[in-house]
Amino acid sequence: MLARCRFLAANALRPSIRTITCRASDFYTDPSKNQELGVSTSPDISPKQREILDRALRVDQAGEIAANWIYRGQFAVLGRDPRVGPLIQEMWDQEKLHLEVMDKLQLQHEVRPTLLSDVAKVTGYALGAATALMGKEAAMACTEAVETVIGEHYDDKFSQLKDFELLPSSHPSIPLLRDVIKEFRDDELEHLDIAVEHHSQRAPAHALLSAVVAGGCKVAIELCKRF
Amino acid sequence: MTATSAKLLKLALPLVKAHGFTREALSLSALSLPTPLANPLPDASVTALFGPGNDACRTLVHAWLDDSRRRMKEEATEKMGMGDVLKARLKSNEPVLEHLPEAFALLASSPLLPLPLLPVDPAPIIKHAAQVSNQACWIARSDAQESSWYTRRATISAIYLAAELHQLTSPKTAPAFLDSLLENAEHAGKALDETALFASYVWKSWRGIVRSSGVLV
Repeated sequence: MLARCRFLAANALRPSIRTITCRASDFYTDPSKNQELGVSTSPDISPKQREILDRALRVDQAGEIAANWIYRGQFAVLGRDPRVGPLIQEMWDQEKLHLEVMDKLQLQHEVRPTLLSDVAKVTGYALGAATALMGKEAAMACTEAVETVIGEHYDDKFSQLKDFELLPSSHPSIPLLRDVIKEFRDDELEHLDIAVEHHSQRAPAHALLSAVVAGGCKVAIELCKRF
Repeated sequence: MTATSAKLLKLALPLVKAHGFTREALSLSALSLPTPLANPLPDASVTALFGPGNDACRTLVHAWLDDSRRRMKEEATEKMGMGDVLKARLKSNEPVLEHLPEAFALLASSPLLPLPLLPVDPAPIIKHAAQVSNQACWIARSDAQESSWYTRRATISAIYLAAELHQLTSPKTAPAFLDSLLENAEHAGKALDETALFASYVWKSWRGIVRSSGVLV
């Protein structure tokens, strides 16, 4: 699918553009691709497979909601900082895009969203604001911990393929979903790199802070799978 | 549920109109098979395939409810609003209307519940209303997200249950009753939204006052 994108893009009218890489999430954000089968229909799968898909998308959507609100909380405190403010804004914008795609995936596959979305919002905001009040490095450390857990979570889903192997690749939405997860994993790991570059390791009690935040994220993931 | 019993259940559904949600309907379903049997199924076979006593009737009720949900999805067209979807579902009740009170009584008298606690079990009926409202919300694409997803479904399931109960006693006025309920719910929803908006104005103005008073600096 990505090869087809590049092929089409390469044959575009303006010859001055040499290569345009087509992101998998463009299928969800570009309104002209609304009617494609991979974006508008859900595969006909067994109840067990449906349950797996359901849980996966529910947790991912909850994670993106929480990430959005964590950045919102951090921005509320550190938004005016000349060095860190634009950085947080940029990472937050990417998370907004992720959430938009996740919302569309949820509607496409008729997945029940998590009951805990309000809890995710409140705790995310509180976590973001609290770590931002502790300092710039602490905010970066919080980002580092959260993005580590989320990156690992997406990576497990994608590389182990324990769950996704059970889903049939015959319907175009499943390979598209794999590509989207891969793209989001790469984005989250990029955020992790940015956080480390900006001295997250210098945060006070870095090990303790990371452990607490990472532990909280793992508990949240387990809860959102069920609720 | 074996393939045979699933097939027989499917064939028993058109017989519900004439025979009700009974073991008789299940045993007569064998006569509708592609290679029909000479006689209807004996009682022992019905017990073996579908369960003893009222369990078999309950299986038939569940199958009928699942089938009407499936038909809801299949017969849905693009332009249907929430009211149209629910009215279509109520309409599919009409052929078996006289047997429905018995069906609900069967659902409510589940043998699993210990009698001293509660004589009737409301859970299967609430589950039925929740499933209908879930299907209706997906068909009508009511764009509710996150927490409002749940409140919308709860409201629609309550409205649907009330309309269905109304239909059992007075089938002719049920669609109008459904419309009035949906309208009331919409009014209530709008009232809540406007209250929330006003409350946000009040909150913002107080926040501005506190900031400008210099207390926080």
